[in-house]
Amino acid sequence: MTAAGTAPAGAGAGHAAVLPHLRYRLVRDTGLIAGRYLRVLRRNPGRLIYPLLQPLVLLTLFLSVFGNLAAGRNAAPGAYREFLVPGIIIQNAALTAPTTGLAMLRDAGSGLADRFRSLPMSRPAVLLGRLGGDAVIYAVQAALLLGVATVLGFTVRTGLAGAAGIVNIAVAFGLAISVLSAWLALLINDAETAERVLFFPAIAIAFVSSAFAPVADLAGWMRPVARFNPVSAAADLIRTLAAGGPAARPFWLLACWIAVLVAVPGVLAVRRWQASP
Amino acid sequence: MLNSSAAGSPLAVDASGVAKSFGSVTALSGIDLAVPAGTLAALLGPNGAGKTTLVRIVATLTRPDRGRVRVLGFDVAAQPGEVRRRIGLTGQFAGLDDALSGTENLVLIGRLAGLRRREARARASQVAELVAMASAAGRSVRTYSGGMRRRLDLAASLMTSPPLLVLDEPTTGLDPASRQQLWQALAGLRAAGTTMLLTTQYLEEADRFADQVHVLDRGAIIASGTPAQLKSLVGGQVVEIALADPGAGQSAAGYPAANCLAAGYPAPDGLALDAEAVARALAGRLDLPPGSVRAESSARRLTVLTRTGTDGDAGVLLDVAAALRADGVPVADLALRQPSLDEAFLALTGRPEVAA
Repeated sequence: MTAAGTAPAGAGAGHAAVLPHLRYRLVRDTGLIAGRYLRVLRRNPGRLIYPLLQPLVLLTLFLSVFGNLAAGRNAAPGAYREFLVPGIIIQNAALTAPTTGLAMLRDAGSGLADRFRSLPMSRPAVLLGRLGGDAVIYAVQAALLLGVATVLGFTVRTGLAGAAGIVNIAVAFGLAISVLSAWLALLINDAETAERVLFFPAIAIAFVSSAFAPVADLAGWMRPVARFNPVSAAADLIRTLAAGGPAARPFWLLACWIAVLVAVPGVLAVRRWQASP
Repeated sequence: MLNSSAAGSPLAVDASGVAKSFGSVTALSGIDLAVPAGTLAALLGPNGAGKTTLVRIVATLTRPDRGRVRVLGFDVAAQPGEVRRRIGLTGQFAGLDDALSGTENLVLIGRLAGLRRREARARASQVAELVAMASAAGRSVRTYSGGMRRRLDLAASLMTSPPLLVLDEPTTGLDPASRQQLWQALAGLRAAGTTMLLTTQYLEEADRFADQVHVLDRGAIIASGTPAQLKSLVGGQVVEIALADPGAGQSAAGYPAANCLAAGYPAPDGLALDAEAVARALAGRLDLPPGSVRAESSARRLTVLTRTGTDGDAGVLLDVAAALRADGVPVADLALRQPSLDEAFLALTGRPEVAA
């Protein structure tokens, strides 16, 4: 490098000490970006009102409308409630996920995105940091849902450990859909269109699943889709955890879904973020 | 620092043959650009000339289709990380999070640039001081005026004291006082040896502050040089005419009113002299193309851009004076000067700088 000798010279005098190339840069920068979102939330607690109100409204509406239906076939009273609450937990996560994509899209079009792109920071940290902030929202939402549902009669037979597991499932599922929404939003690249495109499938996918009714009770054409649906996998795993049955099969099914959703759209979303005109 | 190297004059930015298209639109068509370290280079041109595309390529935000760009010795395509460690970018839109305070923005950006927490905090208060934002740094950016935003954005680019600062229209949309404050900060940085590459639509800014001006038009650099060199490209000299107020009395008294009327502009007893009409008549008398004589917006001043006449040649001044006297135009002041960058731009592109 012929001119390289000049570069460090310029970087020298009066230059603030920049950390050398960091191996843990990804983790560090992710933490910084997550910290940014959480700080914004702390400064603007109003932004938490909707994310916390949404699950409570969903719970009230669904339990009031559907809660007293018998789940058919000589079910015990309240059995449908036990079935429905895990579905609502997952539907709530699916309905929260589009906000990740919309936030990424808003950031991508701002001067802040150019600032980030011009920094020697880790590229995936922008998405991962946002997910870190979202994880807190998902966790609070799921805990709130579980708490209120318990008051209304929902029981988790596996106790606190089971409840913690359910919150973790909601967070993991929510983040996977968040990654998908981030990629789709950046692909669509228009806030208004993205808003419509992202929310509608989030509602549809929850209905074509075992979230609100057992797959066997769905319309015939829906059943294959419902069986092959991450919402079904997540809702089934939560039901298994709440009831205390063997969880290995739904666990691996959901794990596969999450791995696919995070890996493919995740890489595409990061590349999309980095690519600018 | 960089500008005094044994290698002579090392280049902070060294670009050759840079081309970039967006679909069917050619943004840049083979640009060569050299910015010596320690200097301030201004990219001057109308909207859509390619200025922003060029600085985005230098700042590693956009990849060129063709050509090679080295920034402080590092290739922007092959070593973008090394380039990013050495540049500060102030984009056209402030790269700040509105929901955070000024200090929080500075610390976040500093840490993402690689500073440790303690250093980032110390540096944040230094740079806030530097751009006269120390007292407002604790407030949410949402409450800032446009000028404050710009200054904090500049401060954010300075967190790591980068040897090269890239600024895309740093003063666009600012009121004169804010522009002044921003330029004060930039002048201080240049004095400290920071190389700067900036775009501007303001000719007088390029004229006052730039070491080198590169005039972009339709994706190509059509002229490069110091402001003085660019002005000399215009070739001629400028005669400035200040029209006298004909109603004021004695200054107009000596001129034959009949000539003035014959030439088609109001007689000296009218308060307003039609400067446009004077300009047209003057161009005719001096046998110059119509665009060479322009009436300023004040309507009391005219400029005559001559193609002939060399530096220090007062002959053209006498020609203008004779033509004015022949038409009986009352003149308060007559002066010969070098063309402004504004006029140079007009001469280079064939149209005023505001035309897109």
